[in-house]
This record gives sequence, structure tokens and C-alpha cells, in this order.
Amino acid sequence: MKQTIIIIIVAMMALSKTYAQGHGPLFGLQTPTLAKGGVDFNAAAMSLATKDDQSFMLRYIWSYGVTEDLQLNITTPTLINRLSEAPRTRGNSNMPANGDIEASVWYRFFSNAFGVGKRFESTAILSVSTPTEDTRGGINVSNSLHGAISTGYASRTWYAWVGGGYQYYLEESNDQLGDLPYASLVVGYRPNIFMGDYPKPDWRVFVESLAEFPGASVNAGQISPIDQRGKKVMLGPSFLGLYGAWGISFGALFPVYQDIVQGPQERYRLSMNISYWL
Amino acid sequence: MKKIGIILVISIFSFGSAMAQLVKVDQEVFGMDCAPCAYGLERGLKKMGGLGSIKVSLNDGKAYLTLSPDNKLTLQKIQEEVKNNGFSARRAEVVLTGELCKSEGTWQIKVNDETFQVTSDTTREIIRSLNPGIIKARLLIKDKSDRELSGTWEARIEEIM
Repeated sequence: MKQTIIIIIVAMMALSKTYAQGHGPLFGLQTPTLAKGGVDFNAAAMSLATKDDQSFMLRYIWSYGVTEDLQLNITTPTLINRLSEAPRTRGNSNMPANGDIEASVWYRFFSNAFGVGKRFESTAILSVSTPTEDTRGGINVSNSLHGAISTGYASRTWYAWVGGGYQYYLEESNDQLGDLPYASLVVGYRPNIFMGDYPKPDWRVFVESLAEFPGASVNAGQISPIDQRGKKVMLGPSFLGLYGAWGISFGALFPVYQDIVQGPQERYRLSMNISYWL
Repeated sequence: MKKIGIILVISIFSFGSAMAQLVKVDQEVFGMDCAPCAYGLERGLKKMGGLGSIKVSLNDGKAYLTLSPDNKLTLQKIQEEVKNNGFSARRAEVVLTGELCKSEGTWQIKVNDETFQVTSDTTREIIRSLNPGIIKARLLIKDKSDRELSGTWEARIEEIM
């Protein structure tokens, strides 16, 4: 497995011709894809706190732009502290929040650059994940499929993205984690003070919001007695700084509404991400 | 005498070819909003070779290219690079040296296998002053769809240099 990943990375680097963009919110869905032949490496530190426990995870993401509209991603985790009972959620567009290895394809199926620094675009995401643990919250965990779609506006001053996604877990030894429909809304702003031209550093702030509706899990062939979806709305700020080929983003999400049927209540999510465009 | 004539023709032709090139391109780029966008485009354009200097401005939405004296770059190649970075290449202001000729009643400037067709909105004074041969001029290149990039452009001559 390790060898395969190294081969993929080396092949992607060898194919690299030009470089790229791919920058957006930390938690929510986004639309930008890499340039044709562009390669991007991300290292992220993530933490999710519940009432009684807190996870710590490092994540690495390699992305490759097949064309300016088609991007491949692979992400692998290093778990420092795993939650014994993890809420069902996602980390962001191409990151599972839990210890899954995930490969995804992004397809920017619509793009209209209609002004200096301005564009509308829409992107579809399809992912497959495989877990790195056997059970999650006492349920045998299996591979899963994830699909999402987002659309948004980018300019030199304002950004906005809206989207929705769905994660479906396959059955494993008579157990099945409940599905996860979710919606994402992000608004971004670049203050005047950060309107300095390239190659000056480029900062922006986002307000991010996620609404998640985890479904009931199946345990030993039996669906939960309370067969209804949980509801959770998370809201928080994030910051993105870009300089040349480097990007750093950090932020937090806090629950503003939680009606959880299964699993623990969340207190907050933290994330920090460093990007390098090769 | 015949030999001298041939040598003369070849010399003139070689001189013309060597002279025909893009000198400066200010390429308008739509959809470029961030530092990595500019960084990616700058590196992509540099990779093409033939550049003397380059400056990408996010606030102007432009890539300012000064080309090296013996470059073989084409505007099509430059605009394709913009497209490959996920942006839209729009109008361009170009300074070039090329071979001016008239074809089917239309003035054309030929540079590195590209043809710049002079449009009717060029001022009468400039049109009247045109003569076949090598010309150095500043042109405003009309916007063309990113999906229809080719080596033929519509251009208004802004200045003969």
C-alpha cells in the first residue's frame, strides 16, 4: 500500500507541468480546482471535541489537476487520539473527519469567468473511503461512498459557496453506519487592507456553516429503536493566508444547534491546514 | 545576376522571418482572484520559454509579458496557458514586429505562423500609411472564445512604431 502511494506521488510529480490554484474554506464545500498538470500538497491538523473526549488527527492530501476542470485527490490520516465514540461528520470537501483513507474526483462542470478576478463555478465531488479502524462507536465500520455538489462565486473581495453532500456507508458484518446528508454555506471576505497586489501576501476571512443530518445506524442487523435523523448546525470563522506557492488556513466550528439521536454531542472542531502548490 | 537576385530574395526573406515576432503582450485574464492563481499562471507562462520578463497583477487582471529578442512564442500559446490554469484569456494589447501584406482587400500581419487581421475600426490615418513589408506596431487584439483559440486574430492597429 505504502509503495503504491509513493509510486502515485512520484508519478504525479513527474507529470507536473504547471501549477495551480485551489483555495477556499476550511470546513465547507468549495469549487476551485487545480490547473492542468498542477499538484498540491496539504498537511492538516484536526481536532474534534465531544463532551467527554477529544480527537487529534493529522491528514495529508495530494491533489493533481488532470485538466483545469478535473482533479484527483487522495488523503490519508495519522490518528494521534481517536474518539471511542465519534460523531458522524466530514472534515471538509476532500477530508473525512474520522480515520478514513479517501480518494476523490472533483469535476468543475461549470465555470464562467466574467470579470477581472470574478467567476461563477460549480463542482461535483465523488469519493470512496476505506476506514482505518474496525469499529466506530461500537458499530463495525465499512467502506463508504461520498458525493457532493457545490456552486459559488469568487471575486477579489467577496466569496460565497453553497452546496450539499451525502455519505453512504456500506454494510459490514451485519452492521451499517447511518448515512450522512449535509449542507454547507460559506461566505468569505477580503478586507481592503489585504488588497495588495501579487506577490504580496493575500489574506481573507470566511464564515462557515455546516448542517448535518446523520441517519440511524444498524447494529447486528437491527436498526436503532429511534429511527430518526440527528440534526446539527455548526458555525464558525476561518482564515486563509496565501503567499506565492504557500497557503495556511485555520479555523473553528461551534455547534449552534444539536439534536443528536445517536453518538455524542460536539463541543467544537478545530482545523489548521498548510498547502503547498508544487 | 540571377544568383545575386536569389541571394537577395533569400536574405530579405530570412531577415523578415527573424524580425517577425511578438515583442510585448499585456494579456487580460478574467477569473483570477488569489495569490496562488497568479503564482500558478506566472510559473506556467515562464515554463513556455521565450520570456524576458513577466508580471502578473491580480488587481489589474493582467499578465504583462516582455518577450526575449529571439522568441518563437505565439499569442495562441499564451492564451492556452491561461486557459490551462482555469481562467479566461480576454483582450490583449500586443507590440509585435511582423510582415504586413494585403490579402483579399484586408491588411494582415504575419508573425510566427499567426495572422493578425487588421480590423476596420483602425483609424483611417493609420490605414492610409500602411505599406507591405516589415512593420512594428502596437495592436489591440479582440477577445476570442477560449474554446476557439487558433492562430488567426482580429486586431486594431493602435500605433505604428
